[in-house]
Amino acid sequence: MRTLTVKPKPKQQVATERRVAPERQVVPRRRPPTKRRRAARRNLTAYGFLCAALFCFALFAWWPIVREVVLSFQQTNLVDEPSWVGLDNFRTVVNDPAFGEAWRNTFVFTLLALLCGYVVPFAVAVVLNELRHARAYLRFVVYLPVMLPPIVSVLLFRWFYDPGPGLFNQALDAVGLPTLAWLDSTSTALFSLVIVSTWMNLGAGVLIYLAALQNIPGELYEAAELDGAGILKRIRHVTIPQTRLILTLMLMLQIVATMQVFIEPYMLTGGGPENATVTVAYLMYQYAFVYGGNYGAGSALGLMLMLVLLAVAAVQLRLTREEK
Amino acid sequence: MKPRNLAIVLTTGLALTATACGGDSSGSGGSGGVSITVACRPAKTAPKLRDAWDDDVATFEKAHPGVSVKSTDQQPCFDPKTFAAKLAGGQMETVFVVPVTNYGDVIAKRQAKDITASTGVVKNFGDIKQDVRGMVTKDGKVYGVPNVSYSVGLVYNRALFAKAGLDPDAPPRTWEEVRAAAKKIADLGDGYVGYGEYGGGNTGGWHFAQALFSRGGEMVTDGKAAFNSAEGKAVLHNLHDMRWKDDSVGSRVLIGWESLMQQMAAGKTGMMLGAPDVITDVTQKFQGKAADYGITGVPGGKASLAGGEAYMINPKASPSQTKAALQWIDFQFNTPGKGRFDFARGKANGEAVGVPNNDYMGDSPTGKAIAEGRKANAVLPVKNYEPYVDAAPGITPKPEPEKAQELYAVLDVAMSAVLTRESADVDKLLADAESKANSILARR
Amino acid sequence: MPNTTDRRPAATRTIVSPLELRSRRGSRIYWALLTATVTVFTLVFVFPLYWMVTGAMKTGEEIARTPPTLFPESPDFSVFADAWELFDIGTLLRNTLFYAVGAWLFALAVDVSAAYALSKLRPMFGNAILAGMLATLMIPPIVVMIPAYITVTDVPILGWHLLNSPWAIWFPVAANGFNVFLLKRFFDSIPNELLEAAEIDGVPPWRVLWSIILPISRPILGVVSLFTVVLVFKDFVWPLLVLPDSEKMTLSVGLSQTAGAVTQNQIMAGLVIASIPMIIVFFLFQRSIMAGLTAGSLKG
Repeated sequence: MRTLTVKPKPKQQVATERRVAPERQVVPRRRPPTKRRRAARRNLTAYGFLCAALFCFALFAWWPIVREVVLSFQQTNLVDEPSWVGLDNFRTVVNDPAFGEAWRNTFVFTLLALLCGYVVPFAVAVVLNELRHARAYLRFVVYLPVMLPPIVSVLLFRWFYDPGPGLFNQALDAVGLPTLAWLDSTSTALFSLVIVSTWMNLGAGVLIYLAALQNIPGELYEAAELDGAGILKRIRHVTIPQTRLILTLMLMLQIVATMQVFIEPYMLTGGGPENATVTVAYLMYQYAFVYGGNYGAGSALGLMLMLVLLAVAAVQLRLTREEK
Repeated sequence: MKPRNLAIVLTTGLALTATACGGDSSGSGGSGGVSITVACRPAKTAPKLRDAWDDDVATFEKAHPGVSVKSTDQQPCFDPKTFAAKLAGGQMETVFVVPVTNYGDVIAKRQAKDITASTGVVKNFGDIKQDVRGMVTKDGKVYGVPNVSYSVGLVYNRALFAKAGLDPDAPPRTWEEVRAAAKKIADLGDGYVGYGEYGGGNTGGWHFAQALFSRGGEMVTDGKAAFNSAEGKAVLHNLHDMRWKDDSVGSRVLIGWESLMQQMAAGKTGMMLGAPDVITDVTQKFQGKAADYGITGVPGGKASLAGGEAYMINPKASPSQTKAALQWIDFQFNTPGKGRFDFARGKANGEAVGVPNNDYMGDSPTGKAIAEGRKANAVLPVKNYEPYVDAAPGITPKPEPEKAQELYAVLDVAMSAVLTRESADVDKLLADAESKANSILARR
Repeated sequence: MPNTTDRRPAATRTIVSPLELRSRRGSRIYWALLTATVTVFTLVFVFPLYWMVTGAMKTGEEIARTPPTLFPESPDFSVFADAWELFDIGTLLRNTLFYAVGAWLFALAVDVSAAYALSKLRPMFGNAILAGMLATLMIPPIVVMIPAYITVTDVPILGWHLLNSPWAIWFPVAANGFNVFLLKRFFDSIPNELLEAAEIDGVPPWRVLWSIILPISRPILGVVSLFTVVLVFKDFVWPLLVLPDSEKMTLSVGLSQTAGAVTQNQIMAGLVIASIPMIIVFFLFQRSIMAGLTAGSLKG
């Protein structure tokens, strides 16, 4: 699940610029109620409109966050009352040999995905922005995989990766290169997952960068050109500074998104070979739903992941604030 | 309507719908009747089995007026993922199945009903083997009706054996012979795999345990990991050499339990560890040629991992529901010639009748009746399974270790390592696995 | 259509000046680059889909052949019918559509009323509530998967059991801070004069929302609707946990469960069928989706 931060659109739908009229003369048709009564009524109405949303958020967004913290210190089988176990869950999780591997894999995956899913789309967007033909087609195809349900992409690539008749090895074979074990080797498994993940999500990044690039005033390039800047220099001194804000934003979003990799190891490798593709999210799932319902340990791990993501978010806020 | 009234209406509407959607486990059928829900109706992918099941439900309802049976077909029938939540949420069927791995857990957490007083409803309960019954009994109380018991053997493709110049009637008895046979099959050429093995998804560790037992090793003794032993090393060394020296186990690290059976069915894999039900799946689910597959006792033959399952009753069931539930279990699963033992119908439906995949009744009268019925209606070459039946008495069945799934996950690492890395160091792998397993076993 | 500012005429200059482009060398490089880009994009993004469709039409023997055939020898369409049966796609598709449409209606109703209240009625603590809603964006759903799952199996206080119920999908989808934020920002841009006039005439707030605000908010409603529907269609982990019953499963989960038990060409056929709804949505609402992605000027 990847959300994109979208800023509000400029007010062009609504015609007219707003007239600020603090002291408008209103002709009341009946005695105005006192200020306080009116405020109370307005509040009541507002909360009437809000209550459904508050209900949904309270139970399905805010409560689980609190519950994650509580569960981290509890043991429960869902049937009897949960019992408090202090730091046991954290001990379990930290002492699990897969713990270090999961974090390492998650970080490596994030780094690789940043290379593939952050640098590449930007480069692609820069190229697309220069092209004057086939633009609609290129945009359409680059976004096509983003629309597919992830399970489709994952199962499709599982077939491509097949060491025998799979497309990738057959293609390598056809051009005389040595074939690879892809998912079946510790050295390539994680990278193979990154490829799938990138293929699925590249399009969103490309289109967002493209929009940002189109907002760069042409005069800046002209000025740079007059200063004798070559193409690479123009990219360095005009393109990148002009899109810095969105680049920072996307960097953080990418990190948050890749931290939660689950479906790729779940469907393609089962965390193997030799735990080479166990991610934190996958390990959480194992604790809670495979190892006989260890919800406490899963939550403890989830809490750690939450703290890491919050740290990332804090950095992001700070960076964007500096930009402003 | 005032806005807040609207809001109130809206939320009450939501509340009503939601409660209406909430699960409701126990219902009582129409007029004074009783209604039960039963798990394990065959999936839509097996239409004939499904129809047979539906017929059985109809027959059962006719024989027990006032009892109405509703079936669920969640696949897999026992899903560890949702088991606890289904119970907590009151959505567990009245009759549900539990694999032998989870008996202890389910009984300890009081997630199954104590049926000691009413086992008599299942007429042939006494004929079920003592040791099999012992597994669902705790402190003298019975918590379930065993339904399947099997032990792992070696499933092999007789046609490939013949093709590779091996004698299909003299299958391998030791791991050395397995290795030699696998090499011969792999030598048939590209795409042929002598011996198929898993390397992940917890199935790798599961097969490690099977191979370990067959050599006489132990997974856990006195709450400590015991697999870092001569037997454990032999298992991994053998697999490593087959993979890298003989190149006879293929190059895929399989993770799903179905993947190996699929390959087996495709007819290019020679052997795999598996219980007789593997043959049923290979021939029925994956359309393998029935005549090609045989099974023999596990190589090494010291001991074999025992598997099985039992039907248990929802602890929230009422006495009348419990009785109806046990009547259903009696009719559908424990009566020769009826329900799942209606071999004549199975034969007519093209089911793979004939696999000796269940000896939970042993040599009791019922067990004999079932075996005869199976033989009389066999569509599969029963002769192909004789080696397994002959070997069975000499092999000790062994239950799975405690915390099985977590131990299997640990051993997946070792299994996938020897299958994917030529440089894999067996001693180090097992030492690592041992310390990991000990930290798991040391936890409450 | 929101935000037309990025539809600038193609004549706007970019990194490379038109002059450079017109030079002989420049135009050569340009055409080479164009050809290369189109080729690579087609290979990387379209060819896999071609492989999926043609793979489905091959026989079980042909799909496993090495080297593979580029085009099925005797295209066989019956495999789609087989896959439909085996995966039980009819049920899965019906379920998924039901969840998606329900989520769309429910989330829109909940989020629009909330955004309206926060934007125009300005209750006490409104800002705190909005902050609380936005804070949930920092914590992705998978991180709180376990407590959320436990909540759904037994909702606190109310004691509802939502496992295998569509509400297990709808409630969490409606609790989407991003939607509320988008809608609120849009409503903020609607001048208050419009509403004040109505208020003086004694029009109740819900009529104001229904007859004045919603008609002008169509573009943003479109974006939010699409996001919600796409989200439900693409989600995997959550439905895997809360809708385990094969009669209630979503398409994605159903595919993953059965993929182990059918042949490779049947899997491909199932994937093709599963891709069609989203590709249709993409064709129909391409512009809205693209606009939604880049809604507004990104300069903050």
